Amino acid sequence: MSAALDRKPDYSTYPRLSREEARVAANQLLSMRGDGVPVASDLLAEIEAFYRMEARLLDEERHDEWYDLLADDLFYWMPLRENRYRRDPRPEIDPNNMALFDDCKADIAIRIGRLASNLVWTEDPPTRHVYIVSNVEAFETDKPEEYEIHYAFVQYRNRSEHDEATLHGRRRDVLRHVGNGFQVARRLILLPQSVLLTKNLSAFF
Amino acid sequence: MTLIASNFVDWEFGTVDRRIFWDSAIYEREMEQIFARSWLFVAHESQVEAPGSFITTYMGEDSVIVARADAQTINVFLNSCPHRGNRVCFADSGQGRQFTCNYHGWAFGLGGELKKMPKMGLYKSTPGFRMEDWGLKRARVATYKGLVFATFSEDAPSLDDWLGDFRWYLDAVLDAEDGGTEFLPGGATRSVMRCNWKFPADNFVGDIYHALWTHLGGSEPTLGRHGGVKVENSGSYQVSVNGHGWEFNDSFLGNAATMGDRDLLRYMRSRQEAITARLGKFRSDMWGSVASATIFPNFSFLPGYFTFRTFQPKGPLKTEIHAWTLVPRNMPDDIKDRFRRGSMRTFSPSGLLEMDDGENWEHSTSANAGWVTRNQRLCYAMAPEGEEVDASLPGTVSSGQLSDANQRLFYKRWAEMMDAGSWADIPMATKSANVEAAE
Repeated sequence: MSAALDRKPDYSTYPRLSREEARVAANQLLSMRGDGVPVASDLLAEIEAFYRMEARLLDEERHDEWYDLLADDLFYWMPLRENRYRRDPRPEIDPNNMALFDDCKADIAIRIGRLASNLVWTEDPPTRHVYIVSNVEAFETDKPEEYEIHYAFVQYRNRSEHDEATLHGRRRDVLRHVGNGFQVARRLILLPQSVLLTKNLSAFF
Repeated sequence: MTLIASNFVDWEFGTVDRRIFWDSAIYEREMEQIFARSWLFVAHESQVEAPGSFITTYMGEDSVIVARADAQTINVFLNSCPHRGNRVCFADSGQGRQFTCNYHGWAFGLGGELKKMPKMGLYKSTPGFRMEDWGLKRARVATYKGLVFATFSEDAPSLDDWLGDFRWYLDAVLDAEDGGTEFLPGGATRSVMRCNWKFPADNFVGDIYHALWTHLGGSEPTLGRHGGVKVENSGSYQVSVNGHGWEFNDSFLGNAATMGDRDLLRYMRSRQEAITARLGKFRSDMWGSVASATIFPNFSFLPGYFTFRTFQPKGPLKTEIHAWTLVPRNMPDDIKDRFRRGSMRTFSPSGLLEMDDGENWEHSTSANAGWVTRNQRLCYAMAPEGEEVDASLPGTVSSGQLSDANQRLFYKRWAEMMDAGSWADIPMATKSANVEAAE
């Protein structure tokens, strides 16, 4: 279902994860070390093309089409970063910690619903975005239809006159082959900033 | 030029000179007169639970370390080595027995005392040098129901006097349940806004008015177009004590509802009877209601989402928001997790509601680059029915949450502190008997 076209959606019927399912997904993302078998080069090329297309959909605010690239069991996570000494025994990233995004697909639908309301004054006139996706590595997993992806991105945005932000980050995805295309099943977004050096994250990553 | 802050604020009718959001001389005066004297929020006790645990934060622009020395003692001291000035701690949080400066290796204990340094004998043989003269400067520390405050003013009134009757209201979020409260783990959510620190502080002290327009888009997906947020001047209030302020209504769950989590709301409703038995109906109704509050000068929170935040000044045109989520310690883990996600989805840099706010404050600030613009005054005049006063409640209470009453009193306190040479010149509200009895 399209999040924006359905004018009064009942978000309680949208796909969600239980807390346990979210923890399983988080732990899988944290365990991904990029040490599996690399995918064949033609498949890698398809995956890279997918990410270029995804970046363009986001640049062009085609949120409903982007939403369709997300699996129903999506776990979408941007943890907080904290400055800690190397000797600190606590895991730096923990699924029980506060986060910047800790979303299931229904949460993404609500975010798209906000933008689609035409009542978000801070996005009108619109922000202009440019995503650059790079450093893509893809590996086989235990499941034949799922791939472990590691890559980097730059997200530049500009609005109004002097309002701009550049966010660099790394992503880890579990990407699933569905029909002739792919869906994002799990996504870990690692921003290097411990203090977010911009006023908000009014964007998708 | 002598700076007389009271000339910049007409707190009776309600106008504020825009230069106070721009001028660097005024900002420097704020650092000295307000931030170096006020009781400032520095931590929740749950962040420094075990002896040796510490966090770093800011008091004004002064970097400080908050360290637990033993079960009874939390110390707060400057995070700057008295030898050459470098920071002595670079972690946001951690655990240890001492803080060692990277520059020359001077090491300080959990009370900020200078313990040792390399080639210590050279100092021991230096006439007039005494170890005890060169510790990290300590602040006074006091707590209220889990919240740790500190001040660098030796002669500030006690924290209890500073908070005064505001404590009676604070219990609606700090003492609603048995067992105290805690901050959810993971440290502060921090972000930068290019705005003057007073805009977010005055927004939280008494501006529910903005929610009706600013947050239309952010609340629509969970509450429905124009439908959800009920803000009226019946059954709602503004209370101000010593510049601290809270605007609220009696909806019990009005704020919480915008998190859009039915299971969470069901849980909160199941607690209503017990919380009412504990706090009485009036304060129980405040627990998750449509409300916001600021403890002067820069510590704010939102009942319902239970986001607690400081607006850290970083120059007249820049503010850093540090935010945490507070929950009753005895709340079930699953409900705590729902608050973790719910407060993030609404009031964090990715939050559906917070994302609407920052741009307003940034442009309210940057517009003052214009000389003609900043020589205008802003309107803080809204006072429906002349602000009918409710004398039956502690503090300065006016009926109706839609007014500028708290914001005028925030700027009144701001001007008083800016101009006061000593604490004797800063009036403290008398504490009422029923609040004292409740303690």
